[in-house]
Amino acid sequence: MRPAGAEERSPVAALVLGWILPGAGHAYAGRWGKAVLFFLCITGLLAAGLVVGGGTVLLYQVPGHAAGNHVRLWYAAQFCAGGPAVALTPVSQYIASQRSIDWADPLHEMGTLYTAVAGFLNLLVMMDAYTRVAYPHRKGDDDEKEDA
Amino acid sequence: MWQAVAGFFADLVSADNPLWLYYPLCLVVAVVYKATKYDEPKRIVRAALHFFVSVTLGMFALGLVFYLIARLL
Repeated sequence: MRPAGAEERSPVAALVLGWILPGAGHAYAGRWGKAVLFFLCITGLLAAGLVVGGGTVLLYQVPGHAAGNHVRLWYAAQFCAGGPAVALTPVSQYIASQRSIDWADPLHEMGTLYTAVAGFLNLLVMMDAYTRVAYPHRKGDDDEKEDA
Repeated sequence: MWQAVAGFFADLVSADNPLWLYYPLCLVVAVVYKATKYDEPKRIVRAALHFFVSVTLGMFALGLVFYLIARLL
């Protein structure tokens, strides 16, 4: 069943809202259950990664290093986690400027991986929100197929 | 040699090995990925568990293969 007013909804708005707050694109599409699930999963993964990595995993540059260092690629993935990732970046940058980072620490690596995967998952969720608004007649189609 | 293999897998699931962080990561990936495919909550849970178990067993199999290659070479 399509929610009321679905015809006026913009897929681009669903995409942008999904980036600003993970799950917001689905809330915009009228899928509140999934919106809550995606918000909890993605922000939870982001927060867990930040805690596991000692708070120094959301870096667009390593303090004291020249531009073009290796953290940029990780940050490109983390950036896709949207508003929470961007809001937490200055905090992470500040913590990194106050202490040295052990790049070989497995927990730091896992924290970086968690936050990057949170970004990739949000990208998937944003695209799902876009397609659900752009092609509402396709909603639930996959439920009829066998699990792949 | 099989004792060494058993020790390798026992180490993988020990609490002080950071690789245990793989399990919640895989679980979240499974839930989010399957929630984008299905709408029915029961179907999401079932498909996510299937995904989680398949990927975890696949990872263990891959780990075993690499471990045996490293031991034999």
